[in-house]
Amino acid sequence: MLIQATCAGCACLCDDIVVEKNGEFKVKNACRRGAGIFLNYLEGRAKPSINGETSSLEEAIERASEIIADSKKLAVYGMDTITLEAQKLAIKIAEKTDAFIDDCSSFCLGNFVEACLRGEIPTTTLDYVRDNAYVIIYWGANPVHSSPRHMSRYSYFPRGKNRQRGYEEDRFLVVIDVRKDHTSKIVKKNEVFIEPESDAELIDSFVKIMEGKAAKYSGEVAGILREIKKGDAVVFGGLGLRYGLEGDFKKFYNLLRKLNEFSKVYFIPAGFHSNMRGFNESLFEKTGYVNRYSFGEQTSRKEFEFSKLLTSSIPDTTLIIGSDPVNSLPFDVSMHLSKINTITIDPRRTFTTEISDVVIPSSISGVENGGTMVRSDGVKIKLNSVFENKFDDTYILERILERI
Amino acid sequence: MPTPMEIFKLLPKTNCKICGEQTCMSFAFKVITRERKLEDCKPLFDEEKYKKQLEELINLLEPLEKATETGLIVEEDLCTGCANCVVVCPVHASEDPYGMGSGKGPTIENPILLIENGVVKVINMLLCRRYGKERILCVACRENCPTDAIRFLEE
Repeated sequence: MLIQATCAGCACLCDDIVVEKNGEFKVKNACRRGAGIFLNYLEGRAKPSINGETSSLEEAIERASEIIADSKKLAVYGMDTITLEAQKLAIKIAEKTDAFIDDCSSFCLGNFVEACLRGEIPTTTLDYVRDNAYVIIYWGANPVHSSPRHMSRYSYFPRGKNRQRGYEEDRFLVVIDVRKDHTSKIVKKNEVFIEPESDAELIDSFVKIMEGKAAKYSGEVAGILREIKKGDAVVFGGLGLRYGLEGDFKKFYNLLRKLNEFSKVYFIPAGFHSNMRGFNESLFEKTGYVNRYSFGEQTSRKEFEFSKLLTSSIPDTTLIIGSDPVNSLPFDVSMHLSKINTITIDPRRTFTTEISDVVIPSSISGVENGGTMVRSDGVKIKLNSVFENKFDDTYILERILERI
Repeated sequence: MPTPMEIFKLLPKTNCKICGEQTCMSFAFKVITRERKLEDCKPLFDEEKYKKQLEELINLLEPLEKATETGLIVEEDLCTGCANCVVVCPVHASEDPYGMGSGKGPTIENPILLIENGVVKVINMLLCRRYGKERILCVACRENCPTDAIRFLEE
């Protein structure tokens, strides 16, 4: 039996995955990262537990609801790999308990998503990129590893409506990165790879060349500008760009605006969790901010970032959904989790479930439960379920919401 | 990958012409391109004194067995399943322009390459431009592989 599935491994959300269930279990068209999620979906699964002892699912939900109801300051964190429907419930829980809410985007690409949502920078969809874009710029991103099918499905390689000859003649690739990585290996002879010492200097170079002055990277930048004049360009910004800018996002946004004066240049953030943008959009709709929000104070501040909350010991309880902060945050930060009540909802055993007071196992989005997710360009994609598991994030969060 | 010179050094080097080639060197070249088999060199198998050389040759030619008829070798350990090779393939683009040519999954029955369980698999070599008598030495898939997971015999 062949089942059409959507891979929720990264923000590409490839919806052409075919899963063969009968006989040998096969996953077709998914990249290594995505195929691993389907093939190993039964491995390392979490079990419901309270204070390290195995319990039933209902008991764990009951205990979690009690802890949340008793808590004075709750922090809700994660939610980047669960569906939109479940995210909305999590936001409701945070609203009901006047809690802090944050996700990985506060140290990932949240700033770029926010700028796109507020309309500060011109953005477009990946389908438009495939059909029309001529210059493809990867700035501080390594899609071969972060989202393997990004280049072959949307940007550089495919043939589109107005780009019939695909990568052979109708695309121009630019890779900007601090080292030669797998993505830069694809750059052909007449295309450009820049290894900048600082992103600010490179932005200055762009501005200066547009004004007709000499600049540090004049050779490469002049070549790129010449190509940009020939057709639409799109910049895929990754974490390298986010940290390379050192907080000075205005400088980059101004560059994008300036480039748009003489050609169409769009920006799409690239390389993050499957539904990070979905969370940003849901919270933005509700509150006007994309992350680091406090429902108690009705505002968003830098101090409300999850890692800063932990180090300053403000929350007494955390609800972590589909994330592994013990693995992803520095030890100095994550060690504070052991001092407070930690409730984790996750399909798999992680470092965080090991130290949690209450563990509630859920289903894997895209494999065991359907729903909606938001792709990196803001397009909503439907997920199918390949296997049955009715205890998904929506079920668990609804039960918790009822009881608090 | 063995070079023709490495093969030649281990052959009898007598230019006996039993295999049908004029020299042992040209035989070595044709072993690499798989137009001739090692078994065609009769003295190598019959005479006792070449026994050690024969063993070394068999070891040396082991990777050739893994390659397909067009000389394509996929290192599955290196492959990330990015599908660049599937999309760039000129045959895929002409046979399946709205499927693989546009970056999506295949809509035709037997594509040349397919991503299965996260790594690229060779499904149907007959369609490849490198197959048959009037072949072209196309290297589109190898050129665009970011992790060097695809190689060809002649390189």
